[in-house]
Amino acid sequence: MKTKKHTPYLYMLPGLIMVLCFVYIPVITNIGYSFFRLSSYSAGARFVGLDNYRRFFSSDVLPIMLRNNILYAVISLIVQVGFGTVMALVLESTLLKPGASAFYRNFYYIPALISLTAVGLMFTYIYDPSVGFLNGLLKIFGIPGKGWLGDSKLAIYCIIAMSQWQFTGYITLLMVVAFQNVPRDYVEAAAIDGAGPVKRAIHIMIPQAKEQLLVCTIITIIGAFKLYTEVYSTTAGGPGNSSQVLGLFLYQQAFLHDDLGMAAVTGVFIFVITVTLSIIQIRVTRSGQE
Amino acid sequence: MKNLMKKAAAILLAGTMILSLAACGGSAPQQGDGGNESSAAAADTAKSGDVKVIKFYHRFPDEPYNSFIEKKLHEYEETHQDIKFDIFAAQNQEYKEKVKIVVGGEDTPDIFFSWAGEFTERFIREGLILDLNPYFEADPEWKDSLIETQMDIYTNDDGMIYGIPFRLDAKVMFYNRDILEENEIEVPETWDEFIAACEKLKAAGITPISYGNQQQWPSAHYIGTLNQIFVSDEVREKDYNPSSGEFTDPGYVKALEYYQQLLPYMSDTPNAVLPDMARTSFAMGQSAFCYLELVEIPYLAMDNPDINYGMFSFPRVEGAEGNQDILTGAPEGFVISSKTKYPDECVEFLKWFLGKEVGTEQCMEIGWFNAAKDTTAGLTDQGLIDGYNTIISAASMSEWLDNALYSTVTDEYLTAVSDLTNGDATPEEVMQRIQVKAKEAQTLVGTGTAG
Repeated sequence: MKTKKHTPYLYMLPGLIMVLCFVYIPVITNIGYSFFRLSSYSAGARFVGLDNYRRFFSSDVLPIMLRNNILYAVISLIVQVGFGTVMALVLESTLLKPGASAFYRNFYYIPALISLTAVGLMFTYIYDPSVGFLNGLLKIFGIPGKGWLGDSKLAIYCIIAMSQWQFTGYITLLMVVAFQNVPRDYVEAAAIDGAGPVKRAIHIMIPQAKEQLLVCTIITIIGAFKLYTEVYSTTAGGPGNSSQVLGLFLYQQAFLHDDLGMAAVTGVFIFVITVTLSIIQIRVTRSGQE
Repeated sequence: MKNLMKKAAAILLAGTMILSLAACGGSAPQQGDGGNESSAAAADTAKSGDVKVIKFYHRFPDEPYNSFIEKKLHEYEETHQDIKFDIFAAQNQEYKEKVKIVVGGEDTPDIFFSWAGEFTERFIREGLILDLNPYFEADPEWKDSLIETQMDIYTNDDGMIYGIPFRLDAKVMFYNRDILEENEIEVPETWDEFIAACEKLKAAGITPISYGNQQQWPSAHYIGTLNQIFVSDEVREKDYNPSSGEFTDPGYVKALEYYQQLLPYMSDTPNAVLPDMARTSFAMGQSAFCYLELVEIPYLAMDNPDINYGMFSFPRVEGAEGNQDILTGAPEGFVISSKTKYPDECVEFLKWFLGKEVGTEQCMEIGWFNAAKDTTAGLTDQGLIDGYNTIISAASMSEWLDNALYSTVTDEYLTAVSDLTNGDATPEEVMQRIQVKAKEAQTLVGTGTAG
């Protein structure tokens, strides 16, 4: 059967249209909206040029949001990806019996299955200053309690800690899968050559699972810049603006302040950050070229 | 055979294409995501003939309030065979978002709950709310049956009446009678007496005031009241209007300084405490005072049926420049969309639903009052009676601060006062931040951006 030149493209068309409609067109329309002033219920939009951008970049909240998002990204990278990878190595090592390994894998993964809002609500009570679990625990050791989520300096760390609790197990699971795909021959050969568990991890396991590690890093960093539910369900950005993040700011501009133009600017900003970071990461690790 | 295969493939591809195009080209309007049985039923009957479907949105999904509302609506359907209600309910914040999105579109509810003040006025600026004046003019008896001070709140500066109250509300200081008696404290009337009482309680190891500001709006109730005390009516009126707001009066700073005076006597780290938790701790007798809304009375009894409480007006500050006769708080009620197909039917229904007959049952069953006169004859709960009398005897009421101001100014007020509560900002800094936002709001509202 002779294949016509354009046939493959025809097959790609439906998928392409879907991606266009649901990904690219909204992104482009969003950039368009960022030059207008409009709300969800007003009939018309007014062209304001770069005014929304001016207001966004001169906002006092922007530095706070950037700091919080970056903090979240850095801590998540260290704890979720770093510690999660170490846990995965331990789970895949010969230190544990296969049964125990499977048990811990599931055990660590369970928090990731709980809905974000439920976790937020649960932690609101854990952090409660008068009846909360955390202050109760500290009291046993004679340490005075704190107003965790109500403290401008602590609130964002409390939220970040909550996410680490929830998602470290998730990254662990992803890394376990990657380590399981490392050919046994390599590991055994290294062992015969006298490499201990640490050397095997550094020289065999991690390089072999590089692609997965990259994926985990990207989803963690992008997740950090899309952070929303965790903050919304605990502090809603407070006290003051101390735990404000870009994602929540976008939402509040759109639905609390009826300023869809400003929300669009925030969206463009998040988009640019995440795309840039992804490109840098892929370039740096030269993914797909080996 | 080959041709047939080709044709089949072509049809399949074309079909997929049409489907994917249909998916992205504006989907058919859906029934509201109330998506419950009542909406489905309503849609069914709508097809069957001249049944009029009225979309009804409210924000009381909690029990027993939700059941009461649904029961009344179904009663009305039974007596008016041509009317069917399509009901949707959501909690406060979700409700605000939902309403803002649907009201401007084709899917707008006919009757919906809407806060008085800026929340509704933004829709009025877009011409989305039905003017009720002609209906009141046509039926003076109806107008006379409603309490005038409560109707003022749903009347805008142009004299347009745009809504009718469903529940009356006000903020008053609640106190625990037992704690005050044990500590030999008289019910305070002035600010100095109040501070002295708090000092005495604190010295006795009792938390004087329960206060939870984690959700930030509770601070707006304190600041709203203090602004009324320290800033004259004219200045406040000018500043609360988004097109002329400046917030430069020194009274605003003074209000914040008085708020600061209360902080040492309030629950520890109020920004970490949920408002409900603060109310519960007051109900459980863990504090002496709590600044609460009258609609919260039923919750107090739920938390602790034995609580022995009383209430008094916010303490007066001698020599302050503002108006201390205003009772902080506003009724909350329903408005009608200007896009409704059945304005007369909607008005007719609200006359009944927010009138004396339903109002009488409402206060007996759920402990909330509407704005109709003489609804409390059968009431025995002293707390509710006191609360009602407080509202009825008020010379005037005020909108909640967080509903009265332009949304970005409200937001700045709430976040800045939250910082003040944590000691991260001074009253002067707070007002500087608000002045910037107020100035920006002037330009936003002037250019037709609804806020």
